[in-house]
Amino acid sequence: MIGIQRKIWTLTAMIMFIMLMIWITLMYYNQKTENQYNEILQRYLRLNEVTTSSQQVVTSLNSYLITPAEGNLSSLRRKEEMLRSAQLDISNLRNSENDFALTGYINLIDSLIETSERAVMFHSEKESEDSTDAFAEATRISKYISDMTLTLLDKELSTYEQFYRGIIEQSAELKKLGIWILVTMTFWLLLFTYWFSLSITRPIQQLTRAAQELAKGRFDLQVRVNSSDEISFLAKMFEHMRISINGLISEIQQKAQLENELQRNKLLLQESQLRSLQSQINPHFLFNILDTLSKKAFLEGAEETSDLLVSVAGLLRYNLKRLDRSVTLYEEVRVMKQYMEIQKARFTDRLRLYTDIDEECLSIQMPGLTLQPIIENAINHAVEPDEHGGTIEMIVHDQGEHVIIEIADDGPGMSSDKIEQILNEQPLENEGHSTGIGFTNVVQRLRLFYGVHDVIDINSAEGAGVRVRLTIPKTRRIDAYDEAAYR
Amino acid sequence: MHKKVSVLLAVVCLTLLAFTLSSAVRFVESAHELPQSGNQQHSKYRLVLITSDMGTPFWQKLGTSAELEAQSLDATLEIWGSYGEDRESFLKQLEIAIDSRVDGIIVQGIDTSEFNNLTKVKAAFYGIPIITVASDVPVEESLRKMYVGSSPIAAGQMLARQLVHNLGEQGTVVLMGDNRNEYDQRQRLAGIKQVLAQYPNIHSLYVQTPEVRESIIAATQNAMNKLPNVSAFISIDANLTEAMVQEISQRARVESFKIYSFDDNPDVLPLLRSGKIDGILEQSPEMMGKVSVQMMIKWLKGSPLPIQGEGYLTDIHMRTAADEQ
Repeated sequence: MIGIQRKIWTLTAMIMFIMLMIWITLMYYNQKTENQYNEILQRYLRLNEVTTSSQQVVTSLNSYLITPAEGNLSSLRRKEEMLRSAQLDISNLRNSENDFALTGYINLIDSLIETSERAVMFHSEKESEDSTDAFAEATRISKYISDMTLTLLDKELSTYEQFYRGIIEQSAELKKLGIWILVTMTFWLLLFTYWFSLSITRPIQQLTRAAQELAKGRFDLQVRVNSSDEISFLAKMFEHMRISINGLISEIQQKAQLENELQRNKLLLQESQLRSLQSQINPHFLFNILDTLSKKAFLEGAEETSDLLVSVAGLLRYNLKRLDRSVTLYEEVRVMKQYMEIQKARFTDRLRLYTDIDEECLSIQMPGLTLQPIIENAINHAVEPDEHGGTIEMIVHDQGEHVIIEIADDGPGMSSDKIEQILNEQPLENEGHSTGIGFTNVVQRLRLFYGVHDVIDINSAEGAGVRVRLTIPKTRRIDAYDEAAYR
Repeated sequence: MHKKVSVLLAVVCLTLLAFTLSSAVRFVESAHELPQSGNQQHSKYRLVLITSDMGTPFWQKLGTSAELEAQSLDATLEIWGSYGEDRESFLKQLEIAIDSRVDGIIVQGIDTSEFNNLTKVKAAFYGIPIITVASDVPVEESLRKMYVGSSPIAAGQMLARQLVHNLGEQGTVVLMGDNRNEYDQRQRLAGIKQVLAQYPNIHSLYVQTPEVRESIIAATQNAMNKLPNVSAFISIDANLTEAMVQEISQRARVESFKIYSFDDNPDVLPLLRSGKIDGILEQSPEMMGKVSVQMMIKWLKGSPLPIQGEGYLTDIHMRTAADEQ
């Protein structure tokens, strides 16, 4: 990941480096030119030095010849030394152009010193005429040296003319180069800054677009950013956020669906309760009457009638009481038996009941009033229409995790359309029943109670009766039913 | 959009970079190195050729051939000198040459005591050989090693013979010479007079004049006044010729006079071409330059110089107006 800060630093360092390079180059050239200037100046100064010291030699010689004191002589010697050292320096100035003149120049200096020595010698030997001649000659030679200096300077000028013109040309070129560098640097900087700013703003723009899409509610577009800096990190976080929001939304949707289902269950229960409430006024009144009738029948010696009335009253009470809570299978079986007694009194021999109940299984929980509507349905369809009646078979047995309750009749059977309707929990038309609770209601409540869809299965063939098979799990998978029911 | 801007900027940048680089290259190339200086001496011999007539075609020819010869013999030759008749500057050059101790001096001989003093005393003191060229000085006065040039006596004789040939054995001749009375002029005069002496009917008058235009004109006038029947002029010093011819042409038809001159002045040749003068004595400056350098190198190398009488005499020949037609 290349951070934005690093990008800025890189750009700055690059610019600094280029500037430094240019500066060093210019300094180098400047230094070089300066050195060359110095060298040329040095040459001129050396030539001038020769002229000056040769004139000083003549002056010293003159003052010695006028006043031949030791001091003047040593001063002359000093001047001669200076001239000699200047002569040494001069020999370094030789080049192919001034070779001839320079050799002559150096020899002229020798001649001057010799002549000066000669003047001193003649003077000390009191040959004043010769001495004067020698002095005159020395003066002339000194003048020649001056002339020669001018000649050499002329030669220098013509030798170095090319070089001087080069320097002038170079400084003009340098000016142009400076302008070029300035313009070029400006444009390169523009280019780099443009690229650089683009590398920062482009991911931001992409991120902005992604954020706009999210704000509009489109959570399905992936956040994609072509970058490798902090922005890309931001974009990744953004993408995570989008995915999380998507997850949360689907979770909320699932919950809402579940809520919806529970609401429906509640409505169904309320419907059942309403129905039972409708029949509650009668029952209390009916209990009392049935009680009175039972006592009366007993007192009048009709014990059978009395028992029947007690069963009816029990059934009714159970119906009113047990609809909205779970009961044990044992209670269900007991109520079912009371119901059968009542029906037996109605159908006498036409109704035959066969039970095979495993007593071990009677403790399992199940919703109230589930068996009785199924039995009632079987009686209504298998026993009532047939003159010879029918047989109702009820088997309860243990099967591992489940308890199987099978209720079968030997009636004309049920059409597959109807079975479909019942299993799909669609309300049945013209369903005459006594308890007010239909088959469909039972199916719905069983499924809700256990949270399992295949708790009930109906088998039927034309003319071969109906076999309802309940597969009751010994342990309930959800307890939502109860909670929802009592909320 | 971004791409367009990027490409545009990049193109501009590359173009500018190219210009900058070419400018940088120009900048670097415009730098000239300082000419190398070193201690080595480039040639073995340092020779100086000194003349008092710098810039004349005669001396230019002489100088060029001398330089070429010096180059081929591994010597450096410088030509110094004065323009016109600046004797003082000429002598100063000679003294500088001696004081700067050149290896050899080739000089136009001028027969003055200062010249002789310099060559005889000073040059000899430093052991610098001197060869005179084109004009000689007496060897015993100057201690010159050699003379390279035309023989002035022979030249005078040749000119005089030509005069006699053209004029016949009878007439009056004016001889014009300058008043410095130099050695080679004396020699030329001697040569002329030797020839003319054989013809008693030819009268001659030697006129001396300073080398100034007005004086030359005056001297010419004088001579013509004195000798109204003058039929020929000989200019012994070529520097006098032009002024003399002009004065003559003012007085009479130039064509009617026989006029002769030496060649060592640039004005002479046009006069010959235009027919105003009848003949010039031509010398061989190229030969003089070449031979003088050869002789000097020979001397410096220590081989003996061939002694040919008065020196190494170069060719002379007459060039007449008839040749030019």
